[in-house]
Amino acid sequence: MRVAELGKSCFSPENEAGVYTEDAKKKESVQEKRRKRKFRIHSRNTVADWLIIVFFILFSILTIYPVWYVIVGSFNNGVDYTAGGVWLWPREFSIDNYRVVVNDGRIWQGFLITILRTVIGTVSSLLFVSLVAYAMSRKELKFRRFFHYINIFTMFFGGGLIPTFLVIKMLGLLNSFWVYIIPGIYSVYNMIIMRAFFAGIPNDLREAAYLDGAGEYSIFFRIYLPLSKPVLATVGLWIIVGHWNTYIDAMYYVTDPDLYPLQYVLMRIINESSTPASGNGTLPPSVMENITAKTVSYAAIIISIIPILCVYPFLQKYFTKGIMIGSLKG
Amino acid sequence: MQKSVGKKRKKWVKNDFQLLSMASFSLIFLAVFAYLPMFGLVLAFKDGDGVLNIANAILQSDWVGFEKFKEFFLDMDFMNVLWNTIGLNVLSLILTFPAPILFALLINELKNRKFKTAVQTVTFFPQFLSWVIYGGIVLALINMDTGILSQLFVSIGLIGETTDIIGEPDYFWAIIILTNLFKGVGWGSVIYLAAICGLDGALYEAADMDGASRWKKMLHITLPGISPTVITYLLLAISGLLNNGVEQILVFQNQLNLDRSEVIDTFVLKYGIRNNMYSYATAVGFFKSVISLVLILGSNFIAKRATGEGIL
Repeated sequence: MRVAELGKSCFSPENEAGVYTEDAKKKESVQEKRRKRKFRIHSRNTVADWLIIVFFILFSILTIYPVWYVIVGSFNNGVDYTAGGVWLWPREFSIDNYRVVVNDGRIWQGFLITILRTVIGTVSSLLFVSLVAYAMSRKELKFRRFFHYINIFTMFFGGGLIPTFLVIKMLGLLNSFWVYIIPGIYSVYNMIIMRAFFAGIPNDLREAAYLDGAGEYSIFFRIYLPLSKPVLATVGLWIIVGHWNTYIDAMYYVTDPDLYPLQYVLMRIINESSTPASGNGTLPPSVMENITAKTVSYAAIIISIIPILCVYPFLQKYFTKGIMIGSLKG
Repeated sequence: MQKSVGKKRKKWVKNDFQLLSMASFSLIFLAVFAYLPMFGLVLAFKDGDGVLNIANAILQSDWVGFEKFKEFFLDMDFMNVLWNTIGLNVLSLILTFPAPILFALLINELKNRKFKTAVQTVTFFPQFLSWVIYGGIVLALINMDTGILSQLFVSIGLIGETTDIIGEPDYFWAIIILTNLFKGVGWGSVIYLAAICGLDGALYEAADMDGASRWKKMLHITLPGISPTVITYLLLAISGLLNNGVEQILVFQNQLNLDRSEVIDTFVLKYGIRNNMYSYATAVGFFKSVISLVLILGSNFIAKRATGEGIL
């Protein structure tokens, strides 16, 4: 498989494509060490090297600093913050912004909706996409070409936003939680990626089971799915990130604030210039005197980043892997 | 399937039906969410604006032919929207497409593995933030009163003291393109790094023997080596030329910058869903779909000629 070749030299072990055995990893790291040693003898950093290093350090700072800037703002007294100049460290430290955010029911409701849609959406989507992909990867499938063209055509042409909106309205999905799940449950692109993976699994396994009289469903669930963890993880993470980050479907199809996902709640908080609700009077008035809508929205941003930071190591690993699976054309 | 046609057709067995049932899930889904909306396109040729019941809008309203298309082509507002869509996307493509390639080439030149991994870890991160979060951070930086960037620009005389960057139509494209660049360049380089890794190491060794400099190696081995990937991705980008990142635009769009921030996708959203002008918005969407189709087929054709395989 090309995946294995690609990963060989450039990606560090934790970034490598998943089809590796532990042995291969060990062997590689030994080679790696040798290479490094060789480098140490032969190469010194030239001016060009230093320029590149400086460039990347600057670029990294430019990437990290904005997040830091918002963190600092979120820990600063809101009223004091309006004077400006809070850039590296909170001038008047305060956690009141966070107290307001934590007391804002909309955020938690948003978290709940987002978690629900991510879990339900990902599991159901993976199940259906892989089922179709398995069937499409089998040469025995009747009308295979027909299915293929029916799928591919939708990648070229679509009805567009309004007709889709009308279909969803007709199905009664407007203002329903299921509008987050059902219209996105199947994706032709993901199907093609998975189909390519299934097609790479040796046929013998299936033949043996088939001769024993196994049905396609049990072949799929007992043989193919357990062998497909790498591709399931990769595609699954794509779907998870998509669900977690999107808000456009809420904007199109949902008007009930209780159904807003986190991102949409956040967007409304950021765009609101009025001071947020006082948490139904559960917070002392002194807190409300220390905050502004701006610094509260910064705290909301930071709270929303935390879950992503927690899973980021997985994301990076499997997305890098996925890029390589994706470059294997179906 | 074709093989069995030559001989006698094989009898269908249990497993055939099972496979069919799996595959037909895609049929049902696409029939409802992809093909049914295509029939909805008839709305573009009917006068269904303002009709609240969709069934009525589709079935009972009058045919008006290409009236709706004429309407938006004569609409000055739409011409502005079209200009924004094309101008912003073409500029964005020119400026953001080469960046990940350069980024990958530079990362590839880094010798220290740990540093390399650290750089990648940091620069990939923004890709995984939603546009709401990333946009919120950028809005904080360019906030007129407190944002560090706007203070910086004021102090070096780039903008006036009373300029609100986000409320200024003229800066909108720059915001979109720059945020695109910073959010996506790190992650965008991965595909090219993968391509660089796939190149034959022997080529570099041979070049070393001949005493080629790093610059020469980059120019004559790495770049030609990854050019198929570059072409494929360029054509993919061209085929999506009319698609704006709606989620990105809506985060930065406000009443003040509407002149330069309204693009086809957001225009359709406003007219169709908020103002119930179903036919008008469908016609605009249809126009966009057709142009996109031409772009996709065109790029696919060129890709086939250039690299021997299509992009789809």
